[in-house]
Amino acid sequence: MFRATDRCSSPIPAKAGIGLRFQHHQVVLDTRPDLAWMEVHTENYMGGGSPICCLEAIRRDIPISLHGVGLSLGSAEGLDPVHLDRIRQVAERIEPDLMSEHIAWSVNGGTYLADLLPLPMTEEALAVVCRHVDQVQSTLRRKILVENPSTYMQFRHSTIPEWEFMAAVAARTGCGILCDVNNIYVSAKNHGWNPLAYLAALPPDAIGEIHLAGHSVRQLADGNTLRIDDHASRVIGEVWWLYQAALRRFGPVPTLIEWDQNVPPLDVLVEEARHADALIDVASYGVRRADAA
Amino acid sequence: MGSDVPTLLEIQTAMRRGLLDNTTVVDTLGDVLAPADRLSIYRNTSRTALTNALRLNFPAVRRLVGEDFFAAAADTFITREPPHTAWLDPYGQGFPEFLRSFEPARSLVYLPDVARLERVVGNALHAPDAEPLEYLQLVGVEPSVQGRLSFTPHPSVSLVLSPYPVDAIWRAVPARDDAALATIDLSAGAVRLLVERRAGEIEVTRIDERQWKFAKALFTGHSLSAALAVADHPDATTWLAAHLAAGHLSDFALSNTESLVVAGHAQ
Repeated sequence: MFRATDRCSSPIPAKAGIGLRFQHHQVVLDTRPDLAWMEVHTENYMGGGSPICCLEAIRRDIPISLHGVGLSLGSAEGLDPVHLDRIRQVAERIEPDLMSEHIAWSVNGGTYLADLLPLPMTEEALAVVCRHVDQVQSTLRRKILVENPSTYMQFRHSTIPEWEFMAAVAARTGCGILCDVNNIYVSAKNHGWNPLAYLAALPPDAIGEIHLAGHSVRQLADGNTLRIDDHASRVIGEVWWLYQAALRRFGPVPTLIEWDQNVPPLDVLVEEARHADALIDVASYGVRRADAA
Repeated sequence: MGSDVPTLLEIQTAMRRGLLDNTTVVDTLGDVLAPADRLSIYRNTSRTALTNALRLNFPAVRRLVGEDFFAAAADTFITREPPHTAWLDPYGQGFPEFLRSFEPARSLVYLPDVARLERVVGNALHAPDAEPLEYLQLVGVEPSVQGRLSFTPHPSVSLVLSPYPVDAIWRAVPARDDAALATIDLSAGAVRLLVERRAGEIEVTRIDERQWKFAKALFTGHSLSAALAVADHPDATTWLAAHLAAGHLSDFALSNTESLVVAGHAQ
């Protein structure tokens, strides 16, 4: 039913959007900033009352992407049907133009662990994730995107490189890929991977969205340095550079600026989005020249 | 599965224990998992996210006890009652009861009740949307069977009974209104509160004992005649009209018997 070759036919344009957080609800409603689209965390709009009501109002003017953070696609014990149904209910009210989740797990033994935890890259985990993506896509009756994680540890018994794991999920389920360029950079630095080789292994036709965010650097007790994907600052130069490489490979793609901790004034997010838009324009120009040649 | 290659379930179960119990993962998986300080990065993120969820859900409790105390209480509570789902708005239903048994909070006798009010307020904020029952929908009910009417309250409506003036504390603390706090008399007697969401905003209203008993009977599905008997007050039918007008009821049914409960039982 869902083929990877069905490029996401969303009305979300290949432009930059921002992650919408509660702090900015009112200013967005009051000032209607000129932004091509916005993304929210699905879990923040469950239940009734003003949050979802406010999002419905914003959605009348701006295309919305629903980005789930807690479905736990990688749980060995299966998806929580109640949570999946809550996601379906939010989607019914908001009618999002994109929906996405993570290649990670966060639920075990009926406990939600409130973080995107790493999966061993094994055939067993791949089968579990694919089964769950199939389940989500048939429940929601739509294609979803799955996001590559940022990780701080690797499992010694992993047998599949992460980029092959991502491509396999897309090929087997027909889902799209949300390519988080900051996550690729963070994981590549943490594990000694080549970020360009990672990008080169992802199927361009499956890429439906790109994420950009800030991260921090932490010293470990053993002397090693870890990059932490904390979404608490501006996108760093090296990640902008990797983003340009991604645009060269994938072409113009809807791109999101994520900022979840120490959320700055809306203007700062818009500024970051404008920078991404400028780079998308350059990439689009390159595509047009190539077409004309 | 061989002993040297753990299953996905074994890994996830071990990591859950490692993250929740603040210990390193179980020994059998030690050689396939990373050093403890890498796991601790995930533990920190998890703890911070859950503590923040409790902070958001219990702002008055947090201000009353201070950041450090709250963080310590949250840490113990998270280990004891972690959430079951990623929808964290309802997280901490057991936090008020936990505070009742939390030794460092013993001297703040009113703290669990403030937490209980905050939990009810949070539940009201995020309760499902529902159309209120309109008075006109009841017009067709024959007067002779009206006593058999029973009602479903709006999902956001709740009643709270506390021996302390928790509504006054709940209002004064987040506003840092020290003058109001200073005038609160903890021994002033019990308060009976109606909590509701109106146009997205929370309202907490004091009601008297008879109104509270009537509302309690009505909201817990007792028949109208039973609720009126419990209220035992000539104004009770006016109270019903007020509940309807305020949108406190969302549905009705006709029960088969005249009275489901004997007067006085719906307390």
